[in-house]
Amino acid sequence: MEEDISNKYSILIAPMVFIMLTVIGWPLIRTILMSFTNEGLMNLDPVKIVGIENYTNAFQNKDFLSSLKISGIFAFAVVTSEMILGTTVGLLVNQPFKGQKIVRALLIVPWALPTVVNAMMWKLIYNPEYGALNSMLYQMNIIPNYVSWLSTPSKTLGAIIFADVWKNFSLVSMIVLASLQSIPGHQIEAAKIDGANAIQRFRYVTLPHILPSLQVALVLRIIEAVKVFDIIYIMTKGGPANKTRSGTIFIYQEAFTNSRLGSGATYAVLLVFFILIIIMIYMKLLKKKDN
Amino acid sequence: MNNKRIMQKILLYIAVIVLLIYIISPFLWLIIMSISSSTDLSTKPLNWLPKKIDLSSYKELLHMGKNTHGESFLFGLRNSFITAITTVFISLLVTFPAAWVFSRYPNKRNIILKIAIVTFMLPPVAYALPIYKTLSTIGWLDNSFALAFVYCTLVMPFCAWLTKENMDAIPFELEESAIIDGAGLFTRLFKIVLPLMMPAIGTVALLALLMSWDEYFYAMLFTNSNNAITLPVVIANLASGRQANYGLIATGGVIAAAPPVIIGLLLQKSLISGLTAGGVKG
Repeated sequence: MEEDISNKYSILIAPMVFIMLTVIGWPLIRTILMSFTNEGLMNLDPVKIVGIENYTNAFQNKDFLSSLKISGIFAFAVVTSEMILGTTVGLLVNQPFKGQKIVRALLIVPWALPTVVNAMMWKLIYNPEYGALNSMLYQMNIIPNYVSWLSTPSKTLGAIIFADVWKNFSLVSMIVLASLQSIPGHQIEAAKIDGANAIQRFRYVTLPHILPSLQVALVLRIIEAVKVFDIIYIMTKGGPANKTRSGTIFIYQEAFTNSRLGSGATYAVLLVFFILIIIMIYMKLLKKKDN
Repeated sequence: MNNKRIMQKILLYIAVIVLLIYIISPFLWLIIMSISSSTDLSTKPLNWLPKKIDLSSYKELLHMGKNTHGESFLFGLRNSFITAITTVFISLLVTFPAAWVFSRYPNKRNIILKIAIVTFMLPPVAYALPIYKTLSTIGWLDNSFALAFVYCTLVMPFCAWLTKENMDAIPFELEESAIIDGAGLFTRLFKIVLPLMMPAIGTVALLALLMSWDEYFYAMLFTNSNNAITLPVVIANLASGRQANYGLIATGGVIAAAPPVIIGLLLQKSLISGLTAGGVKG
């Protein structure tokens, strides 16, 4: 009986399922099918099935592997920095000080800025001739000559990471702050009476309380960071000398610049595969901790 | 003891000032650039404050003229609004009833929600290739409504998940007593649950709006003219062009950033709690 009532309502899910199948399910399947063909961007030549040829090529392609490495380095660097900086800032603005309300409100500005605007803003700041960064560092006598931040291979990825951290640490800090404010005051008082010092209070009262929120922030940031495209593409298009070409930019270039949808799809499938592995490892770690 | 207290206070204020400078100086500089003349912006080293306020970039971008920057910018602004609002409308329309079923009658089919969340984690490039092929075959490239439909890949799983998590907090007993009074499906959904969900749905809608406003990848691939090109693409084109009118680029950024920054400043609390509401449990 209960089951009957329940099934009656399945129709209400139908529109959502239909749209998801059209824009997510079916394209995903077609990407997988495409990855076994030599399909091009335009319908010039007839499409041929090439079997696993694209895959064997992909695994031998050093450029692809190094683009995955760049995605990995980028994701690791931004997520670690954002978590540390965001938590520190969350703790800082949780202290009482004059102007607290204004500072807390302004925290949202970096996060609210559209990604494209953020990328373009930092591109202007890093401009080698008229950028604010060079001008400031030069006037403060920190650098003797202007630096080409975005075209010196050793500096570019770091400059992009800095720009991404500036935008996204603020999300982490706001999530941490919201969670800090829900700690019951008496818990901290009780710890004080028990003679716990500041570090112990953080370790045994504050940290356990904010941990679930930190996990949410961590997941949100990892999901975004491993599929990074916009900020890098706008700031450098993957250059100089492909030193900032992430996995997604590599796939984009293969499919749309080189007009090879088939092998582009292969790389996309492999990237999805790697991301799924990361998600699964993360889930496993979470389960372990719960036990 | 007292000295230690004062030291701590001083350190606290130094840290707050450093934080404040870090947060606002890049965006403040963007605003200053947008009102500086091009001479101020191309001296070496820079003139940090403009000699006089120059609003010519704003005039140029907000003026409609054939083949001007203003033309593509204003079309981008219009298209961004159309695309974002259509996306949010479609997403809410289909996810609200679905979320209700997931929340009220959870059973095996809730796996659909789990799958939706996993797809949310995958890179758009995994769907983009066949979608491009299809849109180009049926002639739907460069179309705001087609783009909005594609944006559902990003927005819909997110809406379904957040709406369901928020709905779980509304007691089922309210509906049960209404059923006894003979309420039908429509009454339960729209007269009982919807009014109570309004604040949550408002937050979900705003977050979805910000996501669509922010989107660049699909828009860059699937649009190419004033018909459907969105603001992020217009700005990216401005920034990558050879022209060195930095004030103009900065102005485009300031205008594009204004709606989300204002929404953020006004509604920070509900946006952040909306974003984490579902996550803490799931």
